[in-house]
Amino acid sequence: MNTLLHTLATIENTNPQKALRAMRASTPPTAQELTARTVWTAMSAGQMSSRAAYVASFILGLVVWEFVAGLLPHVVFASPSRVAVKLYAGVLNGEIPTAFFHSLQQFALGFAISFVIALPLGLLLGRSRIAFAMFNPVLNALLAVPSIAFVPFIMIWFGLFFEARVALVVVMSVFDMMVIIISGARNIDPTAVTVAKSFQITGLRRILTVFVPASLPFLFTALRIGVVRSVNAMITAELFFAAVNLGKIMQTASSRFDAATMLAIVFLVSLFGLLMQELVKLAEARLIPWSVRQ
Amino acid sequence: MRGRSFALGIAGFGIILVGWEIAGRMLGDMLLSPPSTVLSLLISILAEGRALRELVNSMGQMLLGFALACLIGMPLGTMMGRVRFIDALVHPWVSMLVVTSVAALVPIVILLLGTGVAMRVAIVFLGSVGYVLLTAYHGARGIDARLVDAARSFSIAGVALYRKVLLPALYPYLVTGARLGLIHAIRAMIMAEMFVITGYGGLIFQTGLDLSVGPLLAYLLLLMIFSTTATAILQRIGNATARWYEARQDLGD
Repeated sequence: MNTLLHTLATIENTNPQKALRAMRASTPPTAQELTARTVWTAMSAGQMSSRAAYVASFILGLVVWEFVAGLLPHVVFASPSRVAVKLYAGVLNGEIPTAFFHSLQQFALGFAISFVIALPLGLLLGRSRIAFAMFNPVLNALLAVPSIAFVPFIMIWFGLFFEARVALVVVMSVFDMMVIIISGARNIDPTAVTVAKSFQITGLRRILTVFVPASLPFLFTALRIGVVRSVNAMITAELFFAAVNLGKIMQTASSRFDAATMLAIVFLVSLFGLLMQELVKLAEARLIPWSVRQ
Repeated sequence: MRGRSFALGIAGFGIILVGWEIAGRMLGDMLLSPPSTVLSLLISILAEGRALRELVNSMGQMLLGFALACLIGMPLGTMMGRVRFIDALVHPWVSMLVVTSVAALVPIVILLLGTGVAMRVAIVFLGSVGYVLLTAYHGARGIDARLVDAARSFSIAGVALYRKVLLPALYPYLVTGARLGLIHAIRAMIMAEMFVITGYGGLIFQTGLDLSVGPLLAYLLLLMIFSTTATAILQRIGNATARWYEARQDLGD
């Protein structure tokens, strides 16, 4: 469901409440619905366990991929077995791990910077009606420009190397994180705030007992979206600015018509993105178990 | 209240523009052109016509990829939401596609399809289909089972069930998915064009290489206007074709 919240939050940022409403309209399954759903599921799938389904899907996908790749010339599209061979060789001779390690630096720094920017600005716009009315339209206008279009601008300001790559990671992730933090902060349950008020809990204590716990769930959502965007930006930056690290490997492979190595890198980066996303989810489940959905 | 927030919005833009103007004048045209310069550049760019032609051309190709993404993403997403088996089969790969960097796919697709229109359409498709699909999927999963049960007890099944019950319930999600997909489609199009330096994206990239900030910002402004208008139009269409779409959005407590 959270996926929908963020997809909706990204698009519906003109009115975050709308996003939440749209979600509420569909989220809480009633008991009836749950039974109906279980029956439905049992009928249509024969109750396959989800992990087995996952593995089956993965294997079937690889088989289809292998088959399709067999029909095409291998300079154009590589089969999973060829990709695996290239990946194994690249990891073994240290080329891929070294490049990956260097790429991680702009990812980590850019992600950290963009969280440090998005957090205070997002909370400000989310909690202050005046700030929201004034600057949310500006934010929407900025969001309408594809962040990749800022690449030439970043080149002029930051050059072609590390600083530029960090800047692109920031530009590509900061707005998405801000949107989620804003909509989350706007939708902090007003009852909790009122209750705190009537118990005369004020100042720092109110922040610690009401706002921090209420903010953690959407902060984790923001981190999860931001981390995936940053991983994407990490490889995008290396392809658009001076080709280094993983981008260099891809460029070399491209000039040699080595589709297998290119797919290996893309696969690796996607896997890393998924892994980071799962790590944030895991941290969320550990730290704030009360908010994690079914 | 509405009038007040509108006034505040104008004030917000005002503050940003004034700040930008001052910063622009201090930094100079090499680093940041002030909005006054950018605006006059935008007008001359529009008058010259090339940028507009490129934009229309690029966005036409973008729409082709986006339409493909809707044609495949919407039914597939719906089916995933209704049939557990299809969900299990497709979902892991969709999750993978959504986190994959589209930029990193460009060189691979170039090997497959060359640098022409086909490549850009494919990139737009890959960049937007996941969002269209997942929104439809969440819509289909969230459909009130009571509605389906009620329809069943009136022996409505098969195509009629889809047309009379599922589609109306799904519609808001399909429109939202389309809007989300369109934003990502525009992103993917500009990215692909910047990669092979053609079309409007190429124009942006080339201008950046010439180190001319003013025209660059004017192109970005034009793109911003286009993208905002396009998503607004899509929402209008959504509201106009289904009155319950808007009604449902306002329904929430």
